[in-house]
Amino acid sequence: MSAAYHILLDIFPLLWSGLITGCLYALGALGLVMIFKSSRVVNFSHGNVAGLAAFLIYGFSSGTLLTLSWSAAVLMAVVAVIAIAFLSYAIVAPIMAKSDLTATIATLSLGLIAQGVTLLVFGADIVPLDLPLPRFSASLLGLRITGYDLTVLAVAVATIVGLFLVIDYTKLGVAFRAISANPIAAEICGLNLRSVHLFAWTVSAVLGVIGALLIVPTTFLSVTTVATFMLQAFAAAVLGGFSSLPGALVGGIAIGILMNLFTFYVSPEFTNTFLLVVILVALNVFPNGIFASTGGTRV
Amino acid sequence: MSDSILTMRQERSSLDLRKMVASERIVAGAIIPVLILLPLFVAGSWTYALGVCFANSIGVLAVSALVRYGGEVSIGHSFFAAVGAYSVAILETRAGLPLSISLPVALVAGVLCGIAFAWPSRRLSGIYLAVSTMALALAMPEIIVNADTWTGGFEGLYVSKPLIPGIGIELQRYYVPLVALAVVVYCLSRLRQSRQGRALLLARSHPAAADAFGTRRAWARVSIMGISGGIAAISGAMLAFASSAVSPTVYTFWSSIFLLVGSVVSFYGLTLPRALIGGAFLTLVPQVLSGSGAWIPVLYGLVMLVVILAGHYGPQLSSILFRRGEKR
Amino acid sequence: MDAQNSMLTAQGIALSFGGIKVLQGLDVEFRAGEVTGLIGPNGAGKTSLFNCLTGAYRPQGGSISFDGRPLDGLSPAARASRGVVRSFQTVALCPELTVVENVMMGLARNYHSGWLSAFLPLARGRREDREMREAAISALASLGLADAADLLPSQLPPGMQRLVEIARAIVGKPSVLLLDEPAAGLNNAETRDLTQTLRNIASPDLVMVIVEHDMDLVMSICDRIYVINFGEVVTCGPPQAVRTNEDVIAIYLGSEDD
Repeated sequence: MSAAYHILLDIFPLLWSGLITGCLYALGALGLVMIFKSSRVVNFSHGNVAGLAAFLIYGFSSGTLLTLSWSAAVLMAVVAVIAIAFLSYAIVAPIMAKSDLTATIATLSLGLIAQGVTLLVFGADIVPLDLPLPRFSASLLGLRITGYDLTVLAVAVATIVGLFLVIDYTKLGVAFRAISANPIAAEICGLNLRSVHLFAWTVSAVLGVIGALLIVPTTFLSVTTVATFMLQAFAAAVLGGFSSLPGALVGGIAIGILMNLFTFYVSPEFTNTFLLVVILVALNVFPNGIFASTGGTRV
Repeated sequence: MSDSILTMRQERSSLDLRKMVASERIVAGAIIPVLILLPLFVAGSWTYALGVCFANSIGVLAVSALVRYGGEVSIGHSFFAAVGAYSVAILETRAGLPLSISLPVALVAGVLCGIAFAWPSRRLSGIYLAVSTMALALAMPEIIVNADTWTGGFEGLYVSKPLIPGIGIELQRYYVPLVALAVVVYCLSRLRQSRQGRALLLARSHPAAADAFGTRRAWARVSIMGISGGIAAISGAMLAFASSAVSPTVYTFWSSIFLLVGSVVSFYGLTLPRALIGGAFLTLVPQVLSGSGAWIPVLYGLVMLVVILAGHYGPQLSSILFRRGEKR
Repeated sequence: MDAQNSMLTAQGIALSFGGIKVLQGLDVEFRAGEVTGLIGPNGAGKTSLFNCLTGAYRPQGGSISFDGRPLDGLSPAARASRGVVRSFQTVALCPELTVVENVMMGLARNYHSGWLSAFLPLARGRREDREMREAAISALASLGLADAADLLPSQLPPGMQRLVEIARAIVGKPSVLLLDEPAAGLNNAETRDLTQTLRNIASPDLVMVIVEHDMDLVMSICDRIYVINFGEVVTCGPPQAVRTNEDVIAIYLGSEDD
């Protein structure tokens, strides 16, 4: 009785915080999936660019580069990241048309550059980045719910709902779905491939910034943290099948919870190894993601 | 991902290609005697750096072979290199075994790891392979550090047993990696002439056609990962031998990306000169930039991008230049 | 094995992709010693049928057998080793391999030298390689392509690339040869040569099936023709009967009106 009670006492906070971080992994994964769905490229620079953005916000607000208000700093960083997304797309797009593989390698080189620029400007040290979060804390059923948790949940839900509304109801969103389903047919029908790609790359970059920013309070900001955080996003995307937006969402939350349970019950030292195992198992058990439609006949 | 790659190679007319292959043979023929005689003329620090360079060249070949024959990109080859390196180091510290025994063990371990790793994604598109190699590279350092009873943790292990007793270890640290590099290049050139090599190439460019003539896609994927993993393990073993030590800082996610950079810089070439270019890039750039380490990722990223863009726009540019030349 | 009995049959083949019915319970029968044509408008399901026969697609219904032995559930590779080979609608030669090396791929399934031979010049691998090369060159020579052996496919005109594909298909002495639009992209002279070549390839032991839009070619070399439309067999018979069949005329006139 009491053993079961203790397990419950442990497990609820683990599930809750797993859900919270999972939402952030989902934001990262959604960005990867958006780009992959529309342009068939795995954007390996995603984490590094998002990390650079988090550093830019720090730089713009702390006085390292500029001394701006927090919201102005975020705005500047978002603008910078969108500019990077446009530039990345301009570089990758022509290569993409010829070879997905070379385009993927090109995104890696962009990631290297983003990483290097972060190192050059901000150094390899850990920097403090405080988010203006509501100072709030409540207890519910043995759970400690903080202002951070609620902020993450609210932002993630708002972002994801917003994203799905855009994709379902706007012209650009419909075009995005059409191009993801069949790029050649969609282009013949007069849909503008370029604007849809830019839409996907921009949205992905913004999702990356939001995810990176919100993950910072749980760890700290250094040149590697955000890039490592993206491994979770990649794992989430793989779990979701890499081309399904709902899959990425569920995958992110699943990864968040699994990671929490693993670090608590098994070992906090083998998190990346655990993710590797999750990815490999997921590839075997759900080769096309957790939401794969059955009935494919092409072998 | 495996549809069309290496635009540069395919765009270039085959005549050029043959000329290039022929000229690379001549270069290779000239390089080999130079490399054999070099330790007679240069200082010990140079032979040391070159030994490391040869080991890195083998690692670059492992990535290039995967790109060329598999149409896949790996950002986790430091894992296989680490498997090779630690096989050598652990067999020496635990069992006192020399390289002559530990190198074959390293090779087999690398091949098996490559196969085991490719197996889950054998039927899937190459992006899954790329993503899982990323996880592999990120997982390796924590595995090494936490298995410290075997691996020596952060400290690492020393590799000091000579391959051939009685000959100076410094010379061996130069010549053994050189011979290994030459053997790997030779084996890869044989592969191109073999039934399996042709099957892999066909499976990369036209999987359905390969399938229709008896080459299963899953076989191709698993085979090339086995080959590539084995070569990477040799590179790790040679790196351990040449640098006389192994430590987790050498086998990180970044070292995997650097191997890919080396491969891109050498245009995914499988010849001796190309491999040396890739290996030299990986060995010499950090030495030159040792004072300002932050520039390394920027420089690597830029060079990689420039090479990719040159490969992409090069044929167009050269055709424009060629036409101008004709008008004059 | 009795050559008379060699027959590739497909019964009740049903194939659909996400609700779109591509093949609707198709029955076909291809006999050795005959050249069978498969015609019909674009999208009628001809190539899909080929894909089902070679195992590239798994049909949801029906069964396929060759020589009385079922092929269902076998991988394309396993079917290839039973002698079922094909050419492709778009040329599927490896651009990095020379012509003769591409043709040698048609024999690869018959050779088994190990991986050691792939990396080292061992006797067995070298002997196998020599055999494959000789067979490939004689297959190329039979199609008049001996001179092209050491060129790359990209150095050949499209018509000759087609012939290289056919050489790759026949070099392994197949029992079933499925040709998917062999004359696509060829000029008149090349098509004439191809027609002659196909006549030469035809033999009493070979099941030969041709999907083709060039009616002159089909009518001149086929012994029997299946007409397919909307995934169903419209009619089947000798060229003369098919040429005058009213349904067939309606299909083709209908499609010409577009």
